[in-house]
Amino acid sequence: MSSANNFNLFYENELKHLLTPLEEDRRKIKKYGIAGFFFLGAAILLFIISAASHNSGTAVIAFILILSALILLIVFGNKKKSFAAGFKETIVRKIIHFIDPSLTYNPHLSISKTDYLNSGLFVEQPDRYSGDDYIEGTHEKTFFCFSELHTERKVSSGKSTHWETIFRGLFFIADFNKNFSGRTYVWSERNPQINFLTKLFSSFAWNLEKVKLESVEFEKRFIVYSSDQVEARYILTPSFMERIVRLQQLMGEGTSLSFVNTNIHVAVPIKDELFEPAIFSANDNNRLGDFYNTINIVFDIIDELKLNQRLWNKE
Amino acid sequence: MSPLIIILLLVIFLIPVFIYNNLIRKKNAVDNAFFSIDVMLKKRYDLIPQLVETVKGYMQHEKGLLTSVTELRQKVMQDNLSANERVKLDNQINTVLQQIFVSFENYPQLKSSENFLRLQGAINEAEEQLAASRRFYNAAVNDYHNAIETFPSSLIASAAGMRRKEYFNIPDSEKSASAININ
Repeated sequence: MSSANNFNLFYENELKHLLTPLEEDRRKIKKYGIAGFFFLGAAILLFIISAASHNSGTAVIAFILILSALILLIVFGNKKKSFAAGFKETIVRKIIHFIDPSLTYNPHLSISKTDYLNSGLFVEQPDRYSGDDYIEGTHEKTFFCFSELHTERKVSSGKSTHWETIFRGLFFIADFNKNFSGRTYVWSERNPQINFLTKLFSSFAWNLEKVKLESVEFEKRFIVYSSDQVEARYILTPSFMERIVRLQQLMGEGTSLSFVNTNIHVAVPIKDELFEPAIFSANDNNRLGDFYNTINIVFDIIDELKLNQRLWNKE
Repeated sequence: MSPLIIILLLVIFLIPVFIYNNLIRKKNAVDNAFFSIDVMLKKRYDLIPQLVETVKGYMQHEKGLLTSVTELRQKVMQDNLSANERVKLDNQINTVLQQIFVSFENYPQLKSSENFLRLQGAINEAEEQLAASRRFYNAAVNDYHNAIETFPSSLIASAAGMRRKEYFNIPDSEKSASAININ
């Protein structure tokens, strides 16, 4: 893994010259966007004026403006999409391979819905499931994969429907360093499915028991359920609990973990889309540095949780 | 008798039943946790003969330690032991095992034995599972103590003769139990 200084050097030597033509494209696309939004604003203004003055001539101009705005925004949307695809193929892929050349990257794939549901981190069946930027590889002894995910539920009230986010962020799965057969969930107190009802009925509905652990700091941040009390403590040793607390401090309060099917799953909520190039501002050293740091989060998870420190029967 | 009074009487009768049942559940949880320690201990004892068999060819100077751990294991596997005797024997086994583990350092050739490494891995895992069961036992005891000492369940607990149970002492080494890196 390379340090931040190395990244700056890499940016200067390897990325900067690739970015120059991309930045030119970006500026052109930006013009479509600005023009589209400007036309749209002007059309709305003219509509208001025409409604107030009952002037049909103004309304016609407003109508033409709206049409132009729509065309411009559609062109903007398409150009933005193909720009992002090209950007990911050249720049993001290069950053990923700079971190570790053996990593596989597919900008169109994501963690599968089955894996997402099997993790048990979010039990609710999502109505809309999307994701991209799938990366997989092996860090020392640990196989891992992750992608961006966005899962939503449809909420209908009367005639109107809208979408609510269940989870948005980075979803990470890795091979765990101990053998286990049950299910253990370390839900952040902020996990949306932790509420009074789930606390009350988890034992009946999911056949789980609440696990009370010794660490006060850990208990404050997480709520643990497991199918096996001993196994939960076998996974969550006192030192491992400390590491999970540190991990949550690093990643944000919504971070939850689960231990199912010999894998560890970590959900890190992130509001912004990962690896999407900016259109209205420059994709400079800082922005690409953010991409670099995001990918390194995964290595931090593996290192922080010491997943490479294997018990000998799970080499 | 009006239905209201019947309901009231039923509730008055049922509350202690609920409390009593809850206490029994907590007591059973403690027994259950104790049993899980037993299972893990047996699992570890089962590894001792294999360990002795694997290392005896290498460890010429520690024959005494190997014999004594084998004897202690035979003693601890007997069914008619009291809890105290078992804890005492278990502590002795721990001490001897620690001594054996320390002397592994004198035999670097052991580390190249595939069998030995696998076995040491199994022992390491058994130790971690044992630590987990002890922590589970302590959590169950804590829960049970809270139930028998807080009002109103304390009244029923004292009437039923429920007493405090001992906590397991968890060695410091287990408090930070983590995999040992052999590389």
